[in-house]
Amino acid sequence: MAAYHVVLVHFPIALWMTAALAIVWRALSDGPVALAIDRALVPLLALGLASGVLSILVGLMVWPWDAVTTTPMGRNHIVLAVWTTAYWAVMLVTRILRGETLWHGLGRWIMAGLALLGAGLLGITGTLGGHLAGIYTDLSKVLRPLGWEVHRTFYVPDESLIALVAAAILLLAIAWWSRKPSTSV
Amino acid sequence: MSKGTGSQALLLSAAAIFVGALGIAWITHGTGVVKDDPKRHIAVPKTLTVPLSVQAAYNGEDIFFRYRWTSPKPGIFHDMLRFEGGKWVVQGRAVPGSQPQGLHEDRIAMMVDDGSVPEFSRYGGYITIGKGLAGFSDETDSKAIKEHSYLGKKLKQDEPTKYLPATRRDINDYLSVVPEDELKAQRAAGYFLDLWHWRAARSNPVKLSDDQIVGEARLSDAGKGPYTTNWDNGKKQPRLMFDAAKAGHTALKWDDIVSGKIAQDSQHALREDIAAPFDPAFAWKEGDTLPRRIIRASDGSRADIKVAGTALWADGSWDVMLRRKMDTGNRLDDKIFVDRGVYHVAFAVHRQATGGRWHYVSLPLTVGLGRDADINAVRFNGDEPKWDQTAKAVTLFYPGQVGWAHVNSAKHPGADKVRAGVPVKFRHGELELANYGIEMEFNDAIRRQWLLTMLAGLLLIAAFAVAMNATLKSGKGA
Repeated sequence: MAAYHVVLVHFPIALWMTAALAIVWRALSDGPVALAIDRALVPLLALGLASGVLSILVGLMVWPWDAVTTTPMGRNHIVLAVWTTAYWAVMLVTRILRGETLWHGLGRWIMAGLALLGAGLLGITGTLGGHLAGIYTDLSKVLRPLGWEVHRTFYVPDESLIALVAAAILLLAIAWWSRKPSTSV
Repeated sequence: MSKGTGSQALLLSAAAIFVGALGIAWITHGTGVVKDDPKRHIAVPKTLTVPLSVQAAYNGEDIFFRYRWTSPKPGIFHDMLRFEGGKWVVQGRAVPGSQPQGLHEDRIAMMVDDGSVPEFSRYGGYITIGKGLAGFSDETDSKAIKEHSYLGKKLKQDEPTKYLPATRRDINDYLSVVPEDELKAQRAAGYFLDLWHWRAARSNPVKLSDDQIVGEARLSDAGKGPYTTNWDNGKKQPRLMFDAAKAGHTALKWDDIVSGKIAQDSQHALREDIAAPFDPAFAWKEGDTLPRRIIRASDGSRADIKVAGTALWADGSWDVMLRRKMDTGNRLDDKIFVDRGVYHVAFAVHRQATGGRWHYVSLPLTVGLGRDADINAVRFNGDEPKWDQTAKAVTLFYPGQVGWAHVNSAKHPGADKVRAGVPVKFRHGELELANYGIEMEFNDAIRRQWLLTMLAGLLLIAAFAVAMNATLKSGKGA
C-alpha cells in the first residue's frame, strides 16, 4: 500500500498548502481577489480533509500497526498526520460556521496563525513520511536546534498530559462563558 | 465593557491558552520515560556517539591498524581485590553502564570478515546480537546455558554471548545450536568473524591484544589467553601479589586507584614477571589492593595480535596500534589478509568504565589492501608504517538492545528490506540508530505515552475549535 499512500498524499498536501495561501491572502486583504479566493476556500478545505483522511487510512495499511508504532519515525509520522488533519478540519468547520464574518476582527489573524501552523505541520508530516520511505532530507538538522530530535518519539510526560487536558477544559469553559447572555456595562 | 470587546478578550485568552499548551508540550516532550532502570539492566549513556579514527597499513608480511578515539579518562584497571576487615573482597563487578569506581577497562574491538559471512558486510555487528544476550533485559537463563550439552558442557559457556545467525536453528533461541558437525563445516568454510580485542588492563600490559572469534559464541582463539584470575578458590586468597623487588610495591593502594593517581607507565598490572606467590602472612593493611587478573604472555593462535609501539592515553584520547601477520596460518581462527584483498570490518569501543553491551559500535566498513575501500590500507616497506595517510573518521554509536532477531521481526518495518539485502547504511545513520536503540529499551512505555499525547493533542485542538467558534460567534452581532 506504500505506493498508493505516496500517490494519495499529494492531494491533501496540494489542497491544504493552497488553502494556507488563500487564508493568509484573505487575512491580509479585503480586495476582490482575496474575496474570490475565499469563495474557493470551503471546497479546498473539504477536499483536503477528505483526501487527508483517506491518506491516513491507506497509510495505516502500509505496515502492521505493531510495526509502525514500534518505530519513533512511524509514531512521529502518525501523530503529526493526525494533528495536521485535525487542524485543517478545525479551519474548515470554522469557515463553514462563521462564513464571511470570520474575516472581521481578530478572527482573520487567528485563521492566519492556524494556517501557518497547519502548513508547517503538513510539511514536517510529509517529510517524515519521506524518511520512512527511505527518502531523506536535512529536516532533522533543522528541528534538532529547535529542540526536537525527530528520531525520538514525540510524547509528553504525565504532568504535561494533565496540563493539556486542563487547557482543554479551560477552553471549553471560555466557550461556555462566551455563550452566556450579554451583560454590557 | 461591550460584548464585542469581551468576546475579543475571550478569543485572545483562548488563543493564549492554546499556544501556551503547545509550548508546554514542546518544552517537555521526550521526558519522563527514559531513565536508568537497573532491574531491567538499563543504563542510558549521556553520550550517544563517539568519534574514532582508523588507519591501516601493510608491508606484505604484517598488517597494522591504528585506532584513536576519545575517552575522558584512561580506563587501565579492571576488577580488583581489596583487603577489608581481614578479607580480600572483589571490587569492580560489572554493572549496567559505568562501574562507579572506574574499575572496568577501556577496550577497542574490531570484527573482521573476508566475505564468508555476507550479512556482516551489510549489517555489521547487528548480525551477532541474538535474542537475550548477556546484559539484555531478557537475558537468557545462564543455568540453561551451563547445562547445555554443547554450549555449557563442551564450550564452558556460562552466559549468552555473540553468535552468528546460521549457528542456530531459531535466531530467537540462544540454545538452539545446530549440530556440532554443522558448526565444524561452517568454521571450515570461513563462517566466523575474527575478533581483534585490545584490552587496556587485561592484554595491553604485555603488549598484546586478545584474539578471539565470533561463531556459535564469542570464543577465544586456540592457545593461552593474556589473563587469568588471581584467586585461589581452595585457599580463598589471591594467587599472586606484586614482587616488591621488581614492582616497587607489594600491593596497590585503593585510594590511589579510585582517585586516578596511578600512572599508565607505572607497575600497576599484575604481570607474571613482576609477581610473587601470595603471602598470607604478610602484614596486609586495610585498603591494600591487588588486581583480580594476572596478566601473562599468551601463546598459540591467541597470541597473534601484538601492540605496535606503546598504546597510550593522552589529552582525552587513546592511540593504539596493533599488528598481526597477514597470514597467521590459523585459518580456523583468523581471517587471512591478502594483498589486493578487500575485507569487512566493524569496530567497538568500551570507555568510561563500561563493560558488556554498554559499548559504542560502528556500522560495517571495508578495508582495502591496495584496493579502494572505506579504509585504504597503505603498502609500505620496512617494519613500521609512517601513518602519513589521512585517517578514516568513523562514528561510533550506542546500539542499545537492538539485535538480529528484532531487525528481522514483524516489529521492524524495514525487515523486508533486510530480507532484500539492503545495507543498513542506506536506511539509517549512526545517531538515528543510537536514538532508536534507546527508544526500543522503553518501547512499551513510550508507545503508551505517545498514544496519550496524540489523544490529548486532539482534545486540545477540538477544545480550541469550540472556544474559537463560540467567541467568534458571540462577537458576530457586536
